[in-house]
Amino acid sequence: MTRVPNYVVAYEATERGNDTIELGVALARLTRSELRLCLVLPHHSSTVPARVGAVSSPDYQALLEAQSLEWLEQGLARVPADVVATTHLLYAESTTEGLLQAARTFDSDRIVVGASRRGLMNRFTIGSVANALLHSSPVPVALAPRGYQAPAQLTRITCAIGTRPGWRALLDSLLAFSEDLTVDLRFVTLVEVDAGRRHPTEESASQSHLAEVLEYFHSRSKAHGAISTEVASGHSVEAAVEALDWQPTEVAFVGSSRLAQPTTIFLGITAHRMLHALPVPLIVVPTGTDARKPH
Amino acid sequence: MTSQSPSSGTTPGTSTLTGGLSEKGLSAGSIGLLGATVIGISCIAPAYTLTASLGPTVAAVGTQMPGIFLVGFIPMLLVALGYRELNNAMPDAGTSFTWATRAFGPWLGWMGGWGLIVATVVVLSNLAGVAVDFFYLMLAQLFGNPGLADLTNNVIINVLTCLVFMVAAAYISYRGMETTKAVQYVLVAFQLIVLVWFSVAALTQVAEGTAFDAIALNADWFNPFLTPSFSAFAAGVSLSIFIFWGWDVTLTMNEETKNPKTTPGRAATLTVGIIFALYILVAVATLMFSGIGTGEFGLGNEEIQGNVFAALAGPVMGPFAILMSLAVLSSSAASLQSTFVGPARTMLSMGHYQAFPKRFASISPRYKSPAFATVMAGTVAWGFYAVMRVLSTDVLTDTILTLGMMICFYYGVTAFACVWYFRDSLRGPRAILLKLLAPLVGGVILLVIFATTLYDSMNPDYGSGSNIGGVGLVFILAMVLFIGGIVLMLVQRRVNPAFFQGKTLTKGSSTEHGHVK
Repeated sequence: MTRVPNYVVAYEATERGNDTIELGVALARLTRSELRLCLVLPHHSSTVPARVGAVSSPDYQALLEAQSLEWLEQGLARVPADVVATTHLLYAESTTEGLLQAARTFDSDRIVVGASRRGLMNRFTIGSVANALLHSSPVPVALAPRGYQAPAQLTRITCAIGTRPGWRALLDSLLAFSEDLTVDLRFVTLVEVDAGRRHPTEESASQSHLAEVLEYFHSRSKAHGAISTEVASGHSVEAAVEALDWQPTEVAFVGSSRLAQPTTIFLGITAHRMLHALPVPLIVVPTGTDARKPH
Repeated sequence: MTSQSPSSGTTPGTSTLTGGLSEKGLSAGSIGLLGATVIGISCIAPAYTLTASLGPTVAAVGTQMPGIFLVGFIPMLLVALGYRELNNAMPDAGTSFTWATRAFGPWLGWMGGWGLIVATVVVLSNLAGVAVDFFYLMLAQLFGNPGLADLTNNVIINVLTCLVFMVAAAYISYRGMETTKAVQYVLVAFQLIVLVWFSVAALTQVAEGTAFDAIALNADWFNPFLTPSFSAFAAGVSLSIFIFWGWDVTLTMNEETKNPKTTPGRAATLTVGIIFALYILVAVATLMFSGIGTGEFGLGNEEIQGNVFAALAGPVMGPFAILMSLAVLSSSAASLQSTFVGPARTMLSMGHYQAFPKRFASISPRYKSPAFATVMAGTVAWGFYAVMRVLSTDVLTDTILTLGMMICFYYGVTAFACVWYFRDSLRGPRAILLKLLAPLVGGVILLVIFATTLYDSMNPDYGSGSNIGGVGLVFILAMVLFIGGIVLMLVQRRVNPAFFQGKTLTKGSSTEHGHVK
């Protein structure tokens, strides 16, 4: 049985759930993947020590399930005709656990979640489910900003790359992701500088690092599109991110921290701060990922 | 590679993923005998239950309390056996409300659901009331300032504190958070230890002659038939049903237990064994220490009856009294939060079948919990408490007595629903025993107890002695709740007759297989 490239979309019948569908659609269009809309229900138990919990639960569970299926239908209706999507109702201890279980079951490439809760000015703040996934997922996690709308086509991928060991793993993941895609690629490094002072050494170090990155990438890339590099500096990570131009048809890639287990994500401090300033979707890649191929 | 199993009756195209779970997402085989017993005891919340019921029970039956506790379990057992049969027959659909509707049609079904909602809303207000008392008591003990404990007597402070507790509990319930297993174990162990400690300390003081009003243990205490009158007996049994309320949960745990054939039965037996031993111990120790007089710490003192441990923990346990405060506070707070589940889900179910306005059927898409129904349950429980706090001289005693009646009512309706629903499938002695005799006898006992206590509560001296125009407050309360229910039912009938015309939920029996949508 050939593996169908697919994304787990963490769906709930809220604005945030709609954001995840939009991002799922955008990524599915880019990589010709299918979507698995997953709605996770708490698995109900009679272990709730309520005097009358058990007496009132069976009906409730049936109704909750019916309502969830209706929600999934509504979610499915939001997926445009050019993208294939299936719906799945899951029971799990927690939403995070359910999504991880679905990703394992479907052999998924990525999990798409809504990141923002009440982010200011269209920027990220991380919800609890996204946060939990960012610390435990074995597959890349894509975070949808609040109110995200899928563009007809994603045109650029920006990869934020550091000088620390592990950047090759990120590049490998990006190589796999961008294989045969027609999309521009931009590599950026973020440099934190003190206000009012120039740091020519740091910036030139970054430039030479980017050159190394470029060489590594060029020699392996099978993507079709322009490749560019950029060094962004600011008095903080957030300011550096804001100093860059961001297009609405763009997604960002970032690797996970070295603190992570070899094959799971652990969002580092820099990446975390980036998130707060980022206006586009972010895909967080596990460091030691087995660089899934889209075939 | 994918284990998609199309689940029965779901929309085509949607798979239900369950992993290691059974279809409904129950974690099959995860609960052993100990776990099930802990859940059972946790549902009963003995520390809260005892502090709320010891006083009113002594007021009703005096020293016959231990005996009444023993017989009070019988109707609960009989009804629970029938209830288990219903649960086994319709594991996916069915609650007191739907069963009663299926068996007797919409009118009685509606009142059955109403009875459950009212009972749980009343217990919510009582739980919150007890929690408020113990909260200030604990503060007083913590800071060594007895003045703080008196804050609970200030109506405004009391009602506002209750509101805070209610909002917190409703919010936690709305968020769908549940007490974890570890917390449950700790809470249950702590309650048991403190209650045994209290009993041993009380008995030690009796032996040393320092008890408040020591009376000698008498074997007659265990004979319920020495209760002075049938009215007293009925009131006692009604209260006993309250103290075992929640025990039936153990019987309904099936799939989740390690051995569904034996674990629930054994856990139910073990739970009731532990609870019996505990109740008898505490009842006897408290009687021997305090006596039934109306002195400062006497169980006959109306001032302390609604919340006995709050008054007795100090004299009995001395400096360790704060442990009792912690035990009751934690047990009532945990119970307060989990008890929201019951009325909220029943209201949601009634909303879905259009027996309640449609709004009650709304489910929070984020937390997958009954949003509107939970808010309503909290609002009504608090409103009820606030009104009672103003009207009654002893709000806790009166709510517990009202509660006993309400539980009798909805358990009774459920019991008769069982008998009627299974009327066509009584084959073999086991079926006749469990589906007919047990629920029938249980239901009749409850009906008699209900009618007797309702009649007696008209007497202005009943309960705390609060009355309006010479009629007992408990009776008025019960009437307001019932008539209020009937009025709401008629209003709903007028606004949206679908449910009452049998369009959403049809009448049937076990062999007809009426359709539950």
